[in-house]
Amino acid sequence: MIDLSPLYALIAQLLPFECMQAGFMQQAMAGLLLLAPMTAIMGIQVVNFRMAFFSDAISHSAFAGVALGLLFAMDPGWTMPAFGLVVGLGIMILQRHSNLSSDTVIGVFFSGMVAFGLAIVSRDRSLARDLQRFLYGDILTISDLQILCLIALFIGLMVFQTLSYNHLLYIGVNPALARAHRVRVAVQQYFFAGLLALVVMFSVQAVGVLLVTAMLIVPAAAARNVSGSAGSMFWWALLINMSSVIAGLIISAQDWARTATGATVILVACGWFILSMIVSALRRR
Amino acid sequence: MTCNNQATCNRVHRRSMIRQTVTNPLINPKKELAVYFDNVTVERDGLSILDGVTASVPKGSCTAIIGPNGSGKTTLLLALLKEIPYRGRIIFNGTKSVPRIGYVPQRLTFDRGMPLTVNEFLAMGFQKRPLWLGLRRTLQRQSRELLALVRASHLVDRPLGALSGGELQRVLLALALGQEPDLLVLDEPSAGVDFQGEHVFCELLDDLRLRRGYTQLMVSHDLATVTHHATHVICLNRKVAAEGLPQLTLTDENLTAIFGVHMGLVSSRSMPEQRAVCSAPCCQNNADD
Repeated sequence: MIDLSPLYALIAQLLPFECMQAGFMQQAMAGLLLLAPMTAIMGIQVVNFRMAFFSDAISHSAFAGVALGLLFAMDPGWTMPAFGLVVGLGIMILQRHSNLSSDTVIGVFFSGMVAFGLAIVSRDRSLARDLQRFLYGDILTISDLQILCLIALFIGLMVFQTLSYNHLLYIGVNPALARAHRVRVAVQQYFFAGLLALVVMFSVQAVGVLLVTAMLIVPAAAARNVSGSAGSMFWWALLINMSSVIAGLIISAQDWARTATGATVILVACGWFILSMIVSALRRR
Repeated sequence: MTCNNQATCNRVHRRSMIRQTVTNPLINPKKELAVYFDNVTVERDGLSILDGVTASVPKGSCTAIIGPNGSGKTTLLLALLKEIPYRGRIIFNGTKSVPRIGYVPQRLTFDRGMPLTVNEFLAMGFQKRPLWLGLRRTLQRQSRELLALVRASHLVDRPLGALSGGELQRVLLALALGQEPDLLVLDEPSAGVDFQGEHVFCELLDDLRLRRGYTQLMVSHDLATVTHHATHVICLNRKVAAEGLPQLTLTDENLTAIFGVHMGLVSSRSMPEQRAVCSAPCCQNNADD
């Protein structure tokens, strides 16, 4: 396996805080620094496509993904993202080929997934405790293998975003107009849904099922408030999310705070959002 | 019939010889067609929206689809754009290959809070490099030229969400023209534009069509605009009620049959006699020659 220790050493050097000297903190920071740009960029499109509910449904299918792993005696670390991918593409197919409105389609999936997960877990009392990890997230236990997966996902996602950012924006404005301009809307949407499902499932690890959507939506929403063009929105979302994860992780490790990492990250991002609201209100005056 | 000059006289007589017919390419193979709707049927939930529509759009023409609300005008355009499933065939240029289509929707529904400048909007369909790495100079120039073409140069740096209906319509037209279309499809081009603006908009379109040589297909409920600017009319009311030259198609009995009695009033001010004084380029240059 590839040795990640130079990466950790670099993180410790760049962030010379006392708390950053522990190995698990360096790992957590590496994981968060990989996740933050991905959720920031995907979040822009989630906001443009109004897919917040979609990402919520995927994150809630984490239960069912874990349950499936337990049922077939497979590693939940693999069944969870795989199942998320299936759910994401499934929702997309149904959305495109059904007359039901998209929130109805997702609502049906959502409840089905949660019910299935709970049904399996409720059979075994000892599993219920394990599930707390997924509700609140636990970035501090991230493994080297998971970080390597994140690096691979990061590369794939950046390639996709470089090739498709403009077309995704076009689809976000109006799909019919994009189609008339020979944008391959269906292909782009499926790729986007698949990648989003993977990003969401990895984020569940970091911030938990309940807060995944926040990690996508909050930076993009704040960026929307302060930027005047689609190009600058990208950089703002990136900046806001990166600074939020760095600040969030470090604050959560302080003796006076000792809060859950995921929740702290989201709180910092929400602070950014409030600031962005003030900036946009002042600008409009 | 009185004619004030020889040319008009000839034209009027030639017209009167053409019966109001459907230009079927099998009957009239000489006439080049940009689009031929062959028995197009659209049903939704068992309800028929279009019922065996057979109609043609001559190449280089300004063809207008008219009809009352709910007559399936927009549906026919959506079928053409392959946005909805249909039965029957839609043939382009006598072949199956789809030409470049520039589409200007009736009212662009989009999220007005989205940060996006007009400049970015016009470039995003052409630029390979992602927008967050900046706009290419060549595309910035192209956008400015396109906006100048639709007389909207001042909008280049505005946010797309801050445009008025008429301004948005112009930007959408600029985007469609940027694709160098063989076929320009407009859904209610004058909706959202004030009366004065509407007339200017139509003259602009006529002018561009004659210069660039594309075929224009538009949906309109405004008969005055149609009689002024269209060279070919398709009257639609779930089926094709009539099709042909505007002067021959927009007769009192046809209009009454499609729209009901009151539309006779509108047609009276826009009949052939008055067309002779119209200054729009399309009136001097008719599709029948």
